[in-house]
Amino acid sequence: MASDLFTLDGVVAGYGRAAPVLRGFSVSVPAGSIVCLVGPNGAGKSTVLKIASGLLEPREGRVLINGEDVTGLGPQRMLSSGVSLVLQGHSVFREMTVEENVRLGAYTITDKAKIAERVAFVKEIFPVVADRWGALAGLLSGGQQKQVEFARSLMVDPSVVLLDEPSMGLDPKATSTVFEQVVRMRDAGTAVLLVEQNARRALETADLGCVLDLGRVHISGPAADLLADPQLGELYLGGRPTTKESH
Amino acid sequence: MRNVSRWATSGGAVLLVAALLLFPSVAPNPYVLSAGIVVLNYAVLSTSWNFVGGFTGYISLGHGALAGLGGYATGLLVVKAGLSSFLALFAAAVLVGLVAVPVGFAALRVRGASFVIVSIAIVLILLLVFQSWASFTGGSRGLVVPRPFPDLSRPEHHRAFWYLYSGLLALALLAWWLVDRSRFGLGLKAVREDEDKAEALGTPTFAYKMIVFVVSAFFTALGGGLYALWFGDLDPVFQFSILSGSYLVLMALLGGVRNLFGPVVGAVVVGVALEYFKVSFGDTQLHLVATGVLLGLVVMFMPDGVLPALAALVKRLRPDDSATIREETAEELRDRRLANAGDKR
Repeated sequence: MASDLFTLDGVVAGYGRAAPVLRGFSVSVPAGSIVCLVGPNGAGKSTVLKIASGLLEPREGRVLINGEDVTGLGPQRMLSSGVSLVLQGHSVFREMTVEENVRLGAYTITDKAKIAERVAFVKEIFPVVADRWGALAGLLSGGQQKQVEFARSLMVDPSVVLLDEPSMGLDPKATSTVFEQVVRMRDAGTAVLLVEQNARRALETADLGCVLDLGRVHISGPAADLLADPQLGELYLGGRPTTKESH
Repeated sequence: MRNVSRWATSGGAVLLVAALLLFPSVAPNPYVLSAGIVVLNYAVLSTSWNFVGGFTGYISLGHGALAGLGGYATGLLVVKAGLSSFLALFAAAVLVGLVAVPVGFAALRVRGASFVIVSIAIVLILLLVFQSWASFTGGSRGLVVPRPFPDLSRPEHHRAFWYLYSGLLALALLAWWLVDRSRFGLGLKAVREDEDKAEALGTPTFAYKMIVFVVSAFFTALGGGLYALWFGDLDPVFQFSILSGSYLVLMALLGGVRNLFGPVVGAVVVGVALEYFKVSFGDTQLHLVATGVLLGLVVMFMPDGVLPALAALVKRLRPDDSATIREETAEELRDRRLANAGDKR
C-alpha cells in the first residue's frame, strides 16, 4: 500500500461548549486509495470532514498532509494545500452553466494553461460534464449535478478529495453512476475520503474502511474484510454480511 | 443555445444602435425628444445599477442618491470651482466613486434585507445633508447648473444630449458585457448564487463586491451628472429620492437583471409608460397607479422579466437538443455519442 497522504491523528472535536463529537479519532488516507467512513447517525462522520477541510478546528489532535502539520488552517488554505471538499446534497450553482461551475473550482489558479489542462482532464474523467458543458447546472439530474461537483473539486488538482454523502437523495442508478465516478477519480490518482450512509455500497467501492461509532474508530481495515465481518454486518450494515462475489 | 444567445446580443446591439442614431430624426417635436432623454437617462442609471444588482444580487435602493450625488457634484464643481462642464462631470464621477468606497465598506458587510435598509439610510442621510447645507448646496431652493452649450437652441440642446447619453449608455453596456465575460464576472455571479460557497471556492467575495459597487457608482454618477448638465436645475427632494432608486430596480427587474439589455428594455417600458400616463392624467397621481398596474401585469405574466420571457418563448419554439437528464453511465454516454456521430455521417 502507498504511504499515507492525509492523516487525522487523535482528533478531539465538537461544537461550542458541548461534549466532543470526536473523541480521539484517527484515520489515514494512503495516496491513490478510497477510504470509506461508515457509522450510525450521530457517530461524527460529517464532523470528521469538517475537521479535514478546515471548516472546524480540532480541540486536540493533528491534521497532516504528507507528514506536514496543517491543523487549524482555514478552508481556503486547506484547498490550496490540496484538500478539496464536496458538500452533502447538491451544491452546484444552479443558475450558472456547467462550464462556469467547473471553472469556479479553479478560482485559486491564475495560470490559464493550467486551467485549460484541468478542464480537459475533468472532461475526460466525467464525460457527462463534457456533454452538458453549456447547460445550466440546475437543469441537470441529481447524479449529473454530483458529477459536476466532483469535476469542480478536481480543478485544483487536489491530492485528496473529501466526499460527504455523495449518494444522498439519488436513485439506485444515479448512485451507481456516482460511485463509478468516485472510482474513476481514484484511478486518475486522487485519494478519496468518503463519508456515506449507504455503507454497504460505499465499502464495495472503497479500498479501506473505517467504522466510526460514538466519535471513535470502532474497527478499520480493508473494506472487503469489513464487508465480510458478520458482526459488523448486523450492527452497522443493516443486515446479513455479503461479499462482492455474492452480487 | 450559446449561439442563440450570441445572436440575440448582436441583434440587440444593432437594434439599439439604430434606435439611438435614428430617434432624434424621427422625434416629431422637442418634447418627445426630451422625453426620450429622460428614458435614456433611466436606461443609463438602470444599467449602472445592474452592475451591483445583476452580478451580485444585492438590491440597492440607494442608487438614485448616487445619481443625485453625481448631479450635485457636477453642478457644484461647475458653479463653485469654475471647472468646465465635462471636466466637472468626469471629476464628479471619480469623486462619487471614491465616496462609494467607505459607503460600500459599511453597506456590503450585510446582506439581504439589511443591505436594502442600509442603502435606504444612505438616501435619507444625503437628502438631509443637501437640504440642510443650504449655503453650499442651495438647499431647498435648488441648484442652477449652467448649460454647457449656451449658444444652442432648445431642440439642438436636446439633440446634443441625446447623443451624449447614447455614448454613455454604450460605454456602460460595453463595461457590463466585459465584466460578464470575465473571470471577475464569474466570481461575482457565484456571489449572487451563494456567497458562502463562492468564498469557500476561493473567490475574494468582499473585494469583488467593493470593486463592482465602485464601478456601478461611477457610471451612476456620470448619468446623474449628465442629467444635471442637461436639465440645469437640481432639487434635493428629487435627487435624493427612494422612489427614483426604486424605479431603477423595477426597470432592471422588469427587463431581466441577468441580461445585458434587460435594464434598457425595462427603462423603455417603465419610462415610456411614466411619460405617457403623466401626459394622459396630468398632475394627478393616477400616473403612478397606472404604472403600478402595468408593472403588476408584467410581474404576473413575466416574473423573470421581459427578455427572459422572450428567451423562454424562443427556446420553446426551437427543437430540443439531444441532451438528456436521464442518468447515464460513462459507457452509455460514450455509446450515445458514438451513435450520434454515426447518424451525422
